[in-house]
Amino acid sequence: MSTATIIDRARTEGRKILTEVESKQLLEEAGVPTAHAQLAASRDAAVKAAREIGFPVVLKIVSPQITHKTDVGGVKLDLKSPDEVAAAFDEIVAAARSAAPDAAIDGVSVQQMAQPGTEVIVGVSTDPQFGPVLMFGLGGVLVEVLKDVSFRIIPIVARDARQMIHDIKGFPLLEGYRGQDPADLAALENLLLRVSDFVEQHPEVSELDLNPVFAYKDGALAVDARIVLS
Amino acid sequence: MSVDAERLRRVFSPRSVAVVGDKQAMGYLWLRNMSTFQGPVYSIQIDPKEIPGIEALGIPNYPSLLDIPDEIDLVVCAVPRPAAPRIVADCVKKGVGGVTLFTSGFAETGTEEGTKLQEEIARLARESGLVLVGPNCMGIYNPAVGVRQSTDQPAGEGGSVGLISQSGTHAIGFSLLGAAHGLRISKSVSMGNGAVVDASDYLEFLAGDEETRVIALYIEGVRDGRRFFRVLRRTAQLKPVVIWKGGQTEAGQRGAASHTAALATTSAVWQALVRQTGVVSTNNLDETVDAVKALLYLKPPAGGGSASGGGTGMRVGLMAMTGGQSVVIADTFAREGLQVPLLTSASYEKLSSFFNIIGGSYRNPLDIGGTIGWGGSIANLERMLNILDEDENIDAVALEAGSGFMVRRWQVDPQALEATLDALAAFQERSPKPFLTIMHPGHLDGVVAELRETVTARGIAVFPSFERAARALRRIVEYHRFREEVGIPES
Repeated sequence: MSTATIIDRARTEGRKILTEVESKQLLEEAGVPTAHAQLAASRDAAVKAAREIGFPVVLKIVSPQITHKTDVGGVKLDLKSPDEVAAAFDEIVAAARSAAPDAAIDGVSVQQMAQPGTEVIVGVSTDPQFGPVLMFGLGGVLVEVLKDVSFRIIPIVARDARQMIHDIKGFPLLEGYRGQDPADLAALENLLLRVSDFVEQHPEVSELDLNPVFAYKDGALAVDARIVLS
Repeated sequence: MSVDAERLRRVFSPRSVAVVGDKQAMGYLWLRNMSTFQGPVYSIQIDPKEIPGIEALGIPNYPSLLDIPDEIDLVVCAVPRPAAPRIVADCVKKGVGGVTLFTSGFAETGTEEGTKLQEEIARLARESGLVLVGPNCMGIYNPAVGVRQSTDQPAGEGGSVGLISQSGTHAIGFSLLGAAHGLRISKSVSMGNGAVVDASDYLEFLAGDEETRVIALYIEGVRDGRRFFRVLRRTAQLKPVVIWKGGQTEAGQRGAASHTAALATTSAVWQALVRQTGVVSTNNLDETVDAVKALLYLKPPAGGGSASGGGTGMRVGLMAMTGGQSVVIADTFAREGLQVPLLTSASYEKLSSFFNIIGGSYRNPLDIGGTIGWGGSIANLERMLNILDEDENIDAVALEAGSGFMVRRWQVDPQALEATLDALAAFQERSPKPFLTIMHPGHLDGVVAELRETVTARGIAVFPSFERAARALRRIVEYHRFREEVGIPES
C-alpha cells in the first residue's frame, strides 16, 4: 500500500495515530531501514508470516487505540517456533481484550527479532514557530533521565545529521565504549536524513517516534515506529 | 519574496519624506529626526495649534498627504491609533513607496481591537503593495541619506552594518554604541510588529544590499518561522549574520509576548537554528557590538580545516603589560574556550635573546611591560609581535593595553601613542592572523573611551575586557569554521 493510501485511509477512519505496521510501511518507502512488520489477523496468518520472516520473531498487538503495547501485555519477544507463535498470538489478543475491552484489534504484527545493538531514538515534534523539529538521542535511561538529546529544524543537511549525533553527551558510547562495537555513524546519519526528507515531503506528519533504533557495527534498524498525523 | 524590492529601496533610500501627525508634545521628534535628510521634507497636520510650530521649523505643512504636490517615497506616521487606517489608505492613494508606523496599540496589546486594526491596515498595504514598516516601531535609519530614528544618530557617512531590530530602543542603541566603537550603519530598520514586512523580507533586502557587509538582528519572534529559517540559511552564506535573540527565558518570553506579540520557541530549537544556519548568536547589546566589530575589523581566523594547516583557529598568543594582567588574560581566554598554547622552541629562542625577564615572562602569556619599558621600545614590541606572527602554534594575537600602564603612559606622552599605533597598524596590515587589543577603562572611563576611538580609527579592534575580547574572537572562529565546513570561500 502506498504512503498516500495509508494516510488517506487513516484520515477516512478518523485516526491520527498510525499503527506500527502502517508507520513502518511509510518509513520503508522513504528509505528508512526498519524491522519489517507484517500484519497478521489470525493465528494461522501469524504462523505463516513467521515462517516467511524466519525465526525467532516478535509479536505485537495492532490496535489503533493501543499505543503502549507493553502495558497491556501486547508484546512477546524471541518466539522460536510455529507453536510458540500460535500460543503467543492467543495470549496477546486475550491480554489486550481484557486490558482494553473497547479497543478494536486488527491482529498482531509479526517481525524479525532484531539483533540487539546500541539503542538510540529518533523523533520528530512540531515547534509553533519553526515547524517540524528532528530529535536524536541515546535510548533508554539516558534519554528519559538525562534528556541527552539534540535537535535540528527540518530539513537537515548532511552536516546537521553528523553534528546532531556528535552533539549528545553520550556520543562516546557510540564510538565503542569498553570494547563494544562502534556504531555505524554513517548509517545513523543516513537514517536521520531519510526521516528529515520524509517529513519534509509529508507536512501532515506532526509527530514521529523511532524508539528504539538499534545501531550496529554495520547499519541501523528502526525496531519500533509510530507516526502521528496533524 | 512577498515584498517588492524596488519599493523597499524607496523606503530605505527615499528622495522625499512626509511626516504625518508630529506635534509639540513629542518635541517634533520626527520632523527633527529628518533635519539631516537631503531631500524635501513635508508635514501633514490638521490641528491648527500645531501648524505654526511646524512652520517655524521651516517645514511646509499640508492638511493631507494627497495635497502634497511632490511624489513621496517615505511616510512617517505618528497619528493616534484610530486615525492610522485613514493615513494608510491615503498612502495607498498617493502611491508612496512605504510608510513607517510609529503608532502603537495593535497586535502587541493582545486585545481584539488592536489585532483587528492591525489586520485592517496590513490588508490595505498588502493589497496595494505598499511597504508598511511596523506598526509600533521607530522606522528607518539611513545615515547616507539622513533619515533617522533619533536626533542623536549621526548622519552623512554611511557604513557597512545592516540592522534589523524588533525594538526601537535596541535599533537606536546599537547605532549609537556602535558608532562609538567604529561600527557604522548602512541601513537599519526598527520593524516593530512586522505586520506586513517581516524579518525575512528585510533579511533578503539587506542580503542584496551592496553597502551592507554584516547583518545584525535583534529579534523576539518571527511570523513565518519556516521561511525565516530558509532565508536565514541562504543569507548567512552570503554575508555574516549576527542574531541577538530577545526572550530566551520564560520570563523574557512573557515580556516578548506583550512587546511584539512573539510566540515562544524553546531555547533548544533556537540553538538548533543557530547551528544549522551558521549565524553568530549573541545575548546582549555589548556582545552584538563585539561580534560585529570582530567580523569587520579582524582578519578571518583559520577555521580548523586544511586551510589552517592543522590549527584550530582557537590558539591565541597573549601579550599583557603587567604580571597580574598576563595571568588573568590567560585565565580568561582559556575559560572562554580558546587555547593558550606554549610557543615553538624557535620562538622561545628568539625571545630569550632580548626579553627582559626581570618582572616579565614569555611563556604565553607574555608579560611584556618590562621589555617595552616606560621609555617605550617600539622595536621590542614589533619583534614580539613578529615572533607571534611567525609562530605556527599561534592562530591569533591579543594585546592588553589598559588603564594601569599603557594608557597612563600615552597620557603623558602622546608621541608614544602615535608610534605604538603605527607599529600596531603595520603589524595588522602584514600579519594574516586576527589581531585584537583590550583596553579596560579602569578608573579612566572618559580617557579610555577617547583612546578607543583613536585606536579604532586606525582599523584596530579594541575590546573593553578580556571576556568580551575572548568571546568575540571565539564567535568569529566558529563562524569561519562554519564557512569552511559548508564550503564558502573567504571573500
